[in-house]
Amino acid sequence: MASRKKVLLKVIILGDSGVGKTSLMNQYVNKKFSTSYKATIGADFLTKEVTVDDRIVTLQLWDTAGQERFQSLGVAFYRGADCCVLVYDVNSPKSFETLDSWRDEFLIQASPRDPDNFPFVVLGNKVDMGEERRMISQKRAHAYCQQRGQMPYFETSAKDNVNVEQAFEVIARNALLQEESEEYGGDFSDVIDINLNPERDGCAC
Amino acid sequence: MSRRVGSSNDPPSPSASYYDVSDDEEGGYNTIAHANTGRGVKLLYSKSKVYVHPSPSAKDNIPGFIALVQQKSAPLAADERPGTASSSHSKSQNDASKYLLAWVPESSLAQDDFSTYVKVDMKDTESPPKQTYLVPPLPVSSSYDDSNVGPYAFSLPLSHIYSILVRPPNLGWWFGSIIINTKSGSSLPALFFHDSECESTILQKKRKTKESFDPFGEGGDLFWGGDEVLKWLKRYVTVERSTAEPSVYLINPSEEDLLGFGQGRKSLEGQGPNSDKQQSKKQPPGPGMDPLTKALKETRWKILENLSKITTFTRRTAQDLANNNNLPPQVRRLLQNPEVQTIQDEFDSARLYLARWAMGIAEQSERERRQRIYTARDVLETESSSVGEFEILDGTESMSLNDSKRRPVTMKEWKGYFDSKGRLQITENEIKERVFHGGLDMEDGVRKEAWPFLLGLYEWNSSAEERKAMMNSLRDQYIRLKGQWWERMIEGQATQEQEEWWREQKNRIEKDVHRTDRHIPLFAGEDIPHPDPSSPFYNEHSPGTNVHMEQLKDMLLTYLEYDTPPDGRTSTSITINPNPQNLGYVQGMSDLLSPLYAVFQDDALAFWCFVHFMKRMSRNFVRSQAGMRAQLNSLDQIVQLLDPKLYLHLQKLDSTNFFFFFRMLLVWYKREFDWSDVLRLWESLWTDYLSSQFHLFIAVAILEKHRDVIMEHLRGFDEVLKYINELSGTIELQSTLIRAESLFHKFEKMVEAIDRKDHFPAAPIEIRQRQGKGKDPEDNSQTAKQPQGSSSSNDASHQRTNSEADKEKVISPELRLLLSKEIVTLEENADAGARTRASGLKD
Ligand SMILES: Nc1nc2c(ncn2[C@@H]2O[C@H](COP(=O)(O)OP(=O)(O)OP(=O)(O)O)[C@@H](O)[C@H]2O)c(=O)[nH]1
Ligand SMILES: [Mg+2]
Repeated sequence: MASRKKVLLKVIILGDSGVGKTSLMNQYVNKKFSTSYKATIGADFLTKEVTVDDRIVTLQLWDTAGQERFQSLGVAFYRGADCCVLVYDVNSPKSFETLDSWRDEFLIQASPRDPDNFPFVVLGNKVDMGEERRMISQKRAHAYCQQRGQMPYFETSAKDNVNVEQAFEVIARNALLQEESEEYGGDFSDVIDINLNPERDGCAC
Repeated sequence: MSRRVGSSNDPPSPSASYYDVSDDEEGGYNTIAHANTGRGVKLLYSKSKVYVHPSPSAKDNIPGFIALVQQKSAPLAADERPGTASSSHSKSQNDASKYLLAWVPESSLAQDDFSTYVKVDMKDTESPPKQTYLVPPLPVSSSYDDSNVGPYAFSLPLSHIYSILVRPPNLGWWFGSIIINTKSGSSLPALFFHDSECESTILQKKRKTKESFDPFGEGGDLFWGGDEVLKWLKRYVTVERSTAEPSVYLINPSEEDLLGFGQGRKSLEGQGPNSDKQQSKKQPPGPGMDPLTKALKETRWKILENLSKITTFTRRTAQDLANNNNLPPQVRRLLQNPEVQTIQDEFDSARLYLARWAMGIAEQSERERRQRIYTARDVLETESSSVGEFEILDGTESMSLNDSKRRPVTMKEWKGYFDSKGRLQITENEIKERVFHGGLDMEDGVRKEAWPFLLGLYEWNSSAEERKAMMNSLRDQYIRLKGQWWERMIEGQATQEQEEWWREQKNRIEKDVHRTDRHIPLFAGEDIPHPDPSSPFYNEHSPGTNVHMEQLKDMLLTYLEYDTPPDGRTSTSITINPNPQNLGYVQGMSDLLSPLYAVFQDDALAFWCFVHFMKRMSRNFVRSQAGMRAQLNSLDQIVQLLDPKLYLHLQKLDSTNFFFFFRMLLVWYKREFDWSDVLRLWESLWTDYLSSQFHLFIAVAILEKHRDVIMEHLRGFDEVLKYINELSGTIELQSTLIRAESLFHKFEKMVEAIDRKDHFPAAPIEIRQRQGKGKDPEDNSQTAKQPQGSSSSNDASHQRTNSEADKEKVISPELRLLLSKEIVTLEENADAGARTRASGLKD
């Protein structure tokens, strides 16, 4: 039975350099934040075992360098992804504006079977830095995510561990749904739509 | 180890001498009572340098003694006095309880006791000692948990021993080991015999060779420390080698034990001397038959569990591992147990852990081997092993680690190479050779003198005065360049677009500088307020930065100024840099600059050295990534040539994109080695002594070192990537340099040989294929090496290439380039090289 099988879910984390991809991943997997992480060069991944609706799954979280220049060589492992996480820094408009490019780049390189229903999750990171510094409002981010096929959105802080766990729970669930839909071969867009609803509860709206 | 063993002035006597004197000693114990306790046990035999390896790291190894002791409470009756092994079958179970097998860590022994253990160790063990040596009794324990001499010490009555798992040393497991399994079903920690440190074993080995011209033990195996322990035991208990499991020796086995373990073997040939009794009877050894697996599961697994948390991986069954011959049998058997496989399901990262563990042991053995003189047997052994060719090269005279050429060049030596005018007196090649092999002294400041030469800032034939003049002018230029962007920053840029671009670059630089080498004291602290309140690193309540980080930022911005085409700016930069590449700031640049600055602590000098360093490194940073692609492609070709077997394996794993070397190549191993090793490595690479592409041979050297583990344990691109990434911080530089050098020479020889054969016509298709590859390395690497790409057609062609290897090899231009000492640059017009990307991501 397919659902009994142990699953590996591949998740790709994208976003501009310095938005906090590595920090988020380490906060989630290793429960710690360090200011001395180095800029990511090449690619690496961390794995974490989680339970999603009574199923044990292994998340394989891929972290890549944020500088666009390095993307052309590193796209090999986009393939077979089950979920893509787009990260921006709420204090940096530039990092928000590039989200579309990251999304498009991913869809081109990963070429998922059903791009319209491929699960993305958006994280607005570094919310701990204070309202004075904040450049992208929650409202604006919400509107954007709504517009792009209702991507779940979370406001996070890797530093203070805000919403990290919640975000990755949704990421894991969406990835699992994606994996299952791929497994059955058909485009089960109905199934995904139905199951997307509970996730929006987990959203930090 | 600080304590020396075997300094005993008591050379082992030939076995006959014991009988000569023994009668005099008979009856009365010549007792040396133990000073502290007044009572003790009789130490019959001991062997030094027997280690417990609590973790894969050699650092954690605990040295100790294995010993056979006799409890004093049961005095030795005259007729029981052990004689020859032939009386073994009359030994009763009861007697066995008087004798204890023990292991004690060196650290737990008082000086006196330590000497006693050493003395007994150095006695001739052909017979028990004539003298009685007493040592403090050890707490009798059946499992090591309840001992108070350290977590691993034990002493166990022979009557409690069920079996001993014996693993003689071999290539894969340099140290022979034994594991004692108790009747209660637990296993004691594996004891590793470091024979090359153990004086008594060395002597015994020598004696054996001298007496019989045969360095091998009875079974034809190489003599080792564990043989001795079995010999001791045979004097007091029955030791039966299992026919079903030749590595298991049963102690005073029962009938059932013999049946169980005797099953499953067709013949008895090659068995130990004691195994001639039992015949095969059909009774499959049930799961409870050998307590080993159960015990291992309970004890060793805890260690595994803890250490395996380092990484977790795609789940696989334990079966793959269980079939791997490189693993110690105890681990293999452990993994075969269905119950353990269930646990394995929960900790499948153990696989990687075990791979690393195996590597740790292999590394130790390599170190050991380096200390020994090569014998024909060694050569044969290494030849039959897969890494053999490289190992042999490593062992050649000119590659010896102790070579005086490999001592670092000191300031004194360096200065000695220059005349009174500061002109080099020896050839450029000579001095480069010295630095290539020896590096520079890390403390006496010679690096400050030498690096500007190595980086090409100073001409080798310049005089001190010329260099001084040049530096004066360069300092001015640095200040001008720096002033230029500084001014624009205050007065505003020419256009809105430029303004934004500049701010963006500045942010990137800042973000990276604050993440660069912060573990180095120079960059660690934050003691001055951040100058820019708009920076995310500005904090009104805390300092936020330090002067050296600010210097790094300024230098990188100045490099940006230097490297960006003028475009409406002042004309100063044109004269300073006629060929700006317009790279922009790219991640990795801060990594390349920081060591230069840290060594010079002079921003202008560091800046200009960086400019020269970037001449060879800029191809790593161009927008198209063509330089990185080309280097990864070269790696692909070297591995195909030097290690086709490994290459085919990597191909199976969709890993011939060699992407897992991306980080190493981009910033020259900055993330893999620690700070001081990076400096040492870079100065070697800067010499271009053998090749300007020597850094690629470093990559191959690292790969070759781990090739067995990769081939046997890793099952996919993700695992290879993770494994290679996690080598960071574990790679030994010196041996890697040596291996890289020997790989280079091997490569050179192969190219020569192939060139010589090149006169013969080769199969036309093959040539076309090869040349095609040579012409367009980029596209080839793109299409052929997508991890999930169609590999079947490629496989076939590579397979064929491989099988007809010698005939059809043609040296591609990329490979030939690796023999060149000229710096490889990539002339890429800033904009022409930028590939338009479908998504419109711009950089
Ligand atoms: N205040 C704050 N700082 C953060 C947070 N997350 C990351 N940072 C900081 O932002 C900088 C970049 O973080 P990284 O996690 O290395 O960013 P990245 O996205 O992995 O960057 P690249 O590897 O270059 O792509 C570091 O200095 C982090 O300490 C956060 O939630 N709050
Ligand atoms: Mg990162």
